Amino acid sequence: MRRVSLFVPCLVDLFLPEIGEAAVALLSRLGVEVVYHEAQTCCGQPAINAGYLPQARKVARHFLKVFGEDEAIVSPAGSCVVTVKRHYPELFADEPDWLARAESLAPRVYELSQYLVDVLGVEDVGATFGGKIAYHEACHVLRGLGVSEQPKKLIRAVAGAELVPLNAADACCGFGGEFSLHYPDISEVLVAEKAANFINSQADALVLCEPGCFLNISGYLHRHHPEKKVFHLATLLAGNGKGVRA
Amino acid sequence: MKIRTEQFVEIAREEMKNTRSKAFLGLLPPVINAMRQISLATFPDPDAAQAYGAAIRGEVVTRLPELLEEFERNATARGTKVVWARTAAEANAFVLDLAKKKGVAYVTKGKSMLSEEIGLNDALIDNGVDAIETDLGEFIIQLLKRPPFHLIGPAVNIAVEEVRDLFMEKGILAEPTEDPVALGYAARLHLRDKFHRLEMGVTGVNMAVAETGTIVNVENEGNIRFAKSSPRTQVSIMSLEKVVPTMADALHMIRLLCRNGTGQKMASYISFDTGPRAAGAIDGPEEVYCVIVDNGRADLYDDPVARDVFRCIRCGACANICPVYTKIGGYPYGWAYTGPMGQLLNPLLLGFSGTSDLFRACTLCGVCKSVCPAGVDHPRMFLYYRARDAAGDPKLRSRGRPLKERTLYDLFAWGATHPRLWRQGAKRMRPRVNRDARDGYLSRSVDSLDGWFRSRDLPEMAEKTFQERWKEREGRKANA
Amino acid sequence: MPYAAREDVLGKLKKTDRRGETPSRPPLPPLTELGWGTEQLIEKFTENLVLQTGVVHRVADRAGALEKLTEIARAEGWKAVMIATDEVLAPLDLAAWGRANGVEVLKAADFTGRDAFKDAVFDQVDAGITGVDWAVAESGTVALVHDERQPRLVSLAPILHVVVVPVDRILPVYEQAVERILAARGGMPAHMTLITGPSMTADIQATPFKGMHGPRRVIALLIG
Repeated sequence: MRRVSLFVPCLVDLFLPEIGEAAVALLSRLGVEVVYHEAQTCCGQPAINAGYLPQARKVARHFLKVFGEDEAIVSPAGSCVVTVKRHYPELFADEPDWLARAESLAPRVYELSQYLVDVLGVEDVGATFGGKIAYHEACHVLRGLGVSEQPKKLIRAVAGAELVPLNAADACCGFGGEFSLHYPDISEVLVAEKAANFINSQADALVLCEPGCFLNISGYLHRHHPEKKVFHLATLLAGNGKGVRA
Repeated sequence: MKIRTEQFVEIAREEMKNTRSKAFLGLLPPVINAMRQISLATFPDPDAAQAYGAAIRGEVVTRLPELLEEFERNATARGTKVVWARTAAEANAFVLDLAKKKGVAYVTKGKSMLSEEIGLNDALIDNGVDAIETDLGEFIIQLLKRPPFHLIGPAVNIAVEEVRDLFMEKGILAEPTEDPVALGYAARLHLRDKFHRLEMGVTGVNMAVAETGTIVNVENEGNIRFAKSSPRTQVSIMSLEKVVPTMADALHMIRLLCRNGTGQKMASYISFDTGPRAAGAIDGPEEVYCVIVDNGRADLYDDPVARDVFRCIRCGACANICPVYTKIGGYPYGWAYTGPMGQLLNPLLLGFSGTSDLFRACTLCGVCKSVCPAGVDHPRMFLYYRARDAAGDPKLRSRGRPLKERTLYDLFAWGATHPRLWRQGAKRMRPRVNRDARDGYLSRSVDSLDGWFRSRDLPEMAEKTFQERWKEREGRKANA
Repeated sequence: MPYAAREDVLGKLKKTDRRGETPSRPPLPPLTELGWGTEQLIEKFTENLVLQTGVVHRVADRAGALEKLTEIARAEGWKAVMIATDEVLAPLDLAAWGRANGVEVLKAADFTGRDAFKDAVFDQVDAGITGVDWAVAESGTVALVHDERQPRLVSLAPILHVVVVPVDRILPVYEQAVERILAARGGMPAHMTLITGPSMTADIQATPFKGMHGPRRVIALLIG
């Protein structure tokens, strides 16, 4: 039996636990044993993005201690996976011991859809959804990990779902972590455009693989177009989409 | 050139309300991007072509001093007078002094971002030598005294009505018209006489070829060719990173520059100068000067991350696709360089204090990097700038960050390395955060999150975190 | 300018011990054009130049070229033209052609110096006529080496540029043109241009138009 260690980023843990639960349900259904380390907290991405590298190193060391022995680590958050895979080795460029640990961990960390399609070789996970789906190509998932076909294959295989084109699918939604707080005028224009493209796509739901984009786009839609639904891919694939808020 | 980088947020806000800027930004960048893709597709392997460009520029950065010496040696051997300037002031003083020595009343300028950087026009005009921009866009913004809106189209956002009134006022236009073509021809006629009587031309440099000592310029209008053909004296000013190793490299970079910059397979005119005019030639300069300008760059060369800005070839592809630039336009960047390359260059050249919005106002989406033909990793560099800024690096003229912010991240790091306290902290925060929640959502600002709530709601903090749910689940499993 | 500036700048650049190895180059990216045959080169040169609003006429030989030139001169109402004296034009004997057709044919050697030449090329001619050193099919480009026989302003100042291109001078890519020029002269010429269509701009409201500062039109006569 395959075994994965689930990395549940802080935004999911605190605000969107359903996404984590969906990932567990989905992996379990596919016969994967899910392990969850209770000592996990955050990957440190906010500190890296704000430039606080000594602080980020502390957090990264904690992460490496918690996850260091796992064979495969799976996360429903593309940008956190990028942090561990790409930024950790940069953080420890001058610390050979930690660099070795970071480099050894990097290839064992997977974004969820990447793990399902590339490692498990699964496309049809037995999910159903009645309606049209548009897929938002989150920046870190698309350009950070090069993951784009995997989620689309999974969506296409969902019974009853139709993947429809989304204009400017690969355009940034304007989240950018602190960016959305410090530059709200610009961020708002970007998320409004993403929402408009989604609405114009005539899709019933927008699906994505990134909790940050999820908070941003669903938060905007909840304010301005509350009838519009956004799902994390895990939620869609776990098949319990109806019961999930927003 | 007036520095307004500190007003980034205010100018961005104004520009996003400016219907004309909005209309142009909605229209122009997508068209240029589409043309860029079509023209890149004429390469049998576009990715390989871009990657080769990145390799050339990477080599330039590594071999910079040797390449500059090789260029100088070969250019000098062919009669080009190579001059070095450490600072903007030295560069400006040289050009001014030369103009005075030659007794010229005016010089024509080809579009040169470097000349905006060093403020050459003002230095000449303030000292009695007129400096006339001749690229149509630069000509217009010079008359309007406005900064460039876009690297390739500096005046592309200016309304025809405004150009009409300006040209009428300056006596460039005889009869009012709102036809852009007629306005362009009026500028042609006006500047034609300047080219005809020209005694000294000043242009920028797109590439300086080390192998042959050749200066390369890429243009569409012909104004640079006039500056290299009509006068007896010609001055090229280049920032020191413009050098490329070989002529073959230059040709490859020209292909990339045209495709990435304007979506053209080839610009109308590429000119290659190796020394003054050939013996017996009736036109072309008798003297060619090449001013190599440092202006703070050499001090950055020791920094292995920062020096990667020297890769940039000023094509502007990053701006045309940047989610931020395409919403705010060129003005908020507040200085010579606009878009992502401006976010990288302006802070290095001006210092971080007063420019930190430039490297922070970025979502790290990485689309700039994905289109760059020179291998610039913009997001990596933005993160690096932020880190050096947080560390208060004096070499980059950083003032450091507010104590409050530092304390916040100290607390964050401490919490994230103490899982139990992290959980307890979250639990304690929950009632405060969720105070005003309705139907599972927060709509009113909590703490310092005003920016978020201006346009967005937030799901309330979950009643039970994932971890709590996991523990319950495990408990149920154990009991079953 | 103090010599110290050079030493300062280069000194700073050379001081660092953090330069690292020069990165290795990936293989040179492929170019489709290298596989083109003669007729395809002519076709692609034409196609690319026409895309830039260039007008291309193909004629069989020199006589055909002169005939076409006469046609153009009449249609345009030419009174005077400025010509280069490069090896493509020389055998056409445009001076004789001009006398026969009532067109004043001027060349650099007719003028006492730069200023007189400039007065003529800026204000007194209806077109500039040049040959080419080479032409490049990949983008419909002509490569001109500027010297005594090829003044810079002939292809720039007049409103119309007529360029005569023997088809055997059309090469697939720029590199081949530059290699031949380097080989023939033992180095780069003082001034070389790659010209692709007329002068253009789109600087006012992104409205593109031809003839910003240089020629508004380019007519190519392909011989062969």
